[in-house]
Amino acid sequence: MKPPSFRRPEASLPVAALVLTIIAFVLIPTYTDTALSSFDVYNTLQIFARLGLLTLALGLTMIAGEFDLSVVGTYALGGMLTVQAGQQHWAWGLLAALGAGAAVGLLQGGLIARLKIPSMPVTLATYIALLGLTSALSGGLTKTYANVTVTLWVDQPVLTYFSPRSLITLGLFAAAAAVLSLSRWGRELRAIGGDRRAGRVAGVRVDRLIVGTFAASGVLSALGGSLLSFSLGSANPDPGVQPLIVAAAAALLGGVSLAGGRGHPLGLLGGILAVALLAEIVAVAAVPQYVSQLFFAGLLGIIVVIDAPDLHSALVRQRTRLRPSHHPRTSI
Amino acid sequence: MSATGEELVRVDDLTKSFGSTRAVHGASFGIAAGEIHALCGHNGAGKSTVVKMLSGQETPDAGAIRIGGDRLDLHSRQVAQRSGVALVDQELSVVASLTVAENLMLGDLRAGWLNRRRAAGPRLRALLDNVGLGHVDLDQPLSELGIGERQLVEIARALGQDARLLILDEPTATLSDVESEYVYAAVRAVAATGRAILFVSHRLGEVLGLCDRVTVMRDGAVVATTAVAGLTIDSLIVQMLGEAPHRLRKRTGREAEGPAEVLNVSGLSVAGRVDDFSIGLRPGRVYALAGQLGSGASEVLRAIAGLVPAATGDIEVDGVTVRPGHPIAATRAGIAFVSNDRKSEGLFLDKPISWNLLATRLPAVTRWGVIDRQRWSTALTRLVGLCGLDGKRSADSVRSLSGGNQQKVFVGRGLGRSDVRVLLLDDPTRGVDVGGRAAIHVLLRDAADRGMTVLFSSTELEELLDLADVVITMHKGVVVRRHDGDVAGPVLLREMTHGAATPAEERR
Repeated sequence: MKPPSFRRPEASLPVAALVLTIIAFVLIPTYTDTALSSFDVYNTLQIFARLGLLTLALGLTMIAGEFDLSVVGTYALGGMLTVQAGQQHWAWGLLAALGAGAAVGLLQGGLIARLKIPSMPVTLATYIALLGLTSALSGGLTKTYANVTVTLWVDQPVLTYFSPRSLITLGLFAAAAAVLSLSRWGRELRAIGGDRRAGRVAGVRVDRLIVGTFAASGVLSALGGSLLSFSLGSANPDPGVQPLIVAAAAALLGGVSLAGGRGHPLGLLGGILAVALLAEIVAVAAVPQYVSQLFFAGLLGIIVVIDAPDLHSALVRQRTRLRPSHHPRTSI
Repeated sequence: MSATGEELVRVDDLTKSFGSTRAVHGASFGIAAGEIHALCGHNGAGKSTVVKMLSGQETPDAGAIRIGGDRLDLHSRQVAQRSGVALVDQELSVVASLTVAENLMLGDLRAGWLNRRRAAGPRLRALLDNVGLGHVDLDQPLSELGIGERQLVEIARALGQDARLLILDEPTATLSDVESEYVYAAVRAVAATGRAILFVSHRLGEVLGLCDRVTVMRDGAVVATTAVAGLTIDSLIVQMLGEAPHRLRKRTGREAEGPAEVLNVSGLSVAGRVDDFSIGLRPGRVYALAGQLGSGASEVLRAIAGLVPAATGDIEVDGVTVRPGHPIAATRAGIAFVSNDRKSEGLFLDKPISWNLLATRLPAVTRWGVIDRQRWSTALTRLVGLCGLDGKRSADSVRSLSGGNQQKVFVGRGLGRSDVRVLLLDDPTRGVDVGGRAAIHVLLRDAADRGMTVLFSSTELEELLDLADVVITMHKGVVVRRHDGDVAGPVLLREMTHGAATPAEERR
């Protein structure tokens, strides 16, 4: 799958969203008293690092025509395991988190592919179960992480704007983009998302691909949780629904279609960067939280309308109406 | 091409049951290298199940499949593909959200794990040119292509898989004659390289013209495998049905000055599709729009049914104007429409036959908005009898029926309703076998005899000549001619494929 041309929504949506938010970001000094500093860019990337992997995980399952609601549950569990299993050495915590993420993903993918259950109920159940499990592990309390060196390391500035955490996240986006562009998985993922029966008949290993996608989604979400725990020096058993909503919004802004079969990791990157910029603008301009929520709602509304098949056909109709008829008139 | 080589593909005693239904029992036949072998039969005769077993979509209960002498266990599509079986499925199996090139590479074993779109370019280009898609760009999204072109892309994909056995399950059902010719040529070229080809088709003409031998199935068993040289359309039909099919007597005798016109359409236009279409229809007669894919015949029917928002023109039912682009208004005026796509625009596949038949006549089977059991079963019994369906199966889901019986349910939904004045049918016997087709023709003729006006579109000469009282030919969006009386098949075919004017006339 090569990066799509800019005329198609999977490219035009994230580019438009990113351009708009960058303009708004650069213009911050004109509508507030604060000047922009390199720290604002660093901070934007930190917000990106917090939610990027969730967006990537959710986005990949959406391209395959599924919807992994459990990403936030895996995110919470990953974060908690990182803290509780990693008190001796950070690597043990990370391994536990990634292993759990992979197990959750394999289990869900297996259920969805083999038993042909829709992903919504399966992943909703997993989401609730994982939150419960995380609470049970922690006794419902926020757990602190004693290893301060790791906490300091993941967030130290690198090249002024970056941190190891945001670089890892960016690297995973790049890796996902490379894998989906350079291998057959890219087109096969979109094939099963666009028309699963046709994909199966054409010879795509649909079941394996679904299991693999959910496993990738689980590992990415768990890693997102781990990185967050390292950064905060603590793990919260209930991250709330906000991360899921933001990740879904970012995925849609990133050009993924709810119907499946469309999207690219680079588009997802554009979507989540736009969301992170917006969050930073809200923070710098000290705009109340509800303004950003309303703004997001408006943005999503616009996307849905632009994406609507009826609007598209109406535009096509308008265009064809304006064009003169090709057929010579004949009488019977 | 003759079947001189030894058998490359051999199927022995293939058996498959679904629950208590024996779909296929003891099917045996062989295909030689370089042979184009046709598989024919009634809907429900077991052709599709045989194709599914050969292509790895179903596992046989018993029996053996051999290719090149090796007995194969084809338990998945991937295994079948690796064993050298390529398939053009009965249903369109290309993905609209991918580009043409991506569709051609989908499932291709030689494509490898790396995406080599650039390197594969010339090969893919040649595949497209081969099936007459020289004008299609490799990186065009498939969604920009028409249905016929998409079908050709799927055929190109199968041709490019370098298989030992190539299965084409009704590949030309949605194609025009010109497009079909490309497919025939490409299939002949593949056969000439020593591969075996299994060609499933309802078009008996093309079976006799293209294939070397024909295996006919009936009720899950193989009736016979015969060389085409010894067959005619009639003898093939006898093999398929076990008896000569009942042919309807044409009723061209009814004069044009019958009762007043029910439906009057004038100046109907759909930008880019239909230009200035006019027609007047009288009750009790069957009218046909004869036109290939892209002739506008389908769009005319959809526009009259109110399903084309961009349509302009005047439509009147019994003198009352019906606004174009408003399906509810059209329904209220007494226009019923049967789409050519029963799966996505017609039947509720997972619901019982009874639901599907009665869905359009709820006021007739309810009392105070609640379904009245007695009226329901009375109406159902009458309809099931009318459509010639098995009453015992009326609680089964429509999905469990064969294609022909599904279509009967779909057509039956518009019948026996007092509120329907005009019945529009877009290609009503698409993908339906000879027996099912005859049954649907009887249904439509009966409906007309009861005073309904029937207007259908078709590309099948036999159907046009058998069923229609009046045939209107269309070509590239305009009406070519209206034939009120007898007309010769070749005349219709010429008008459908070439329009009215000869090249010399056009130059003038």
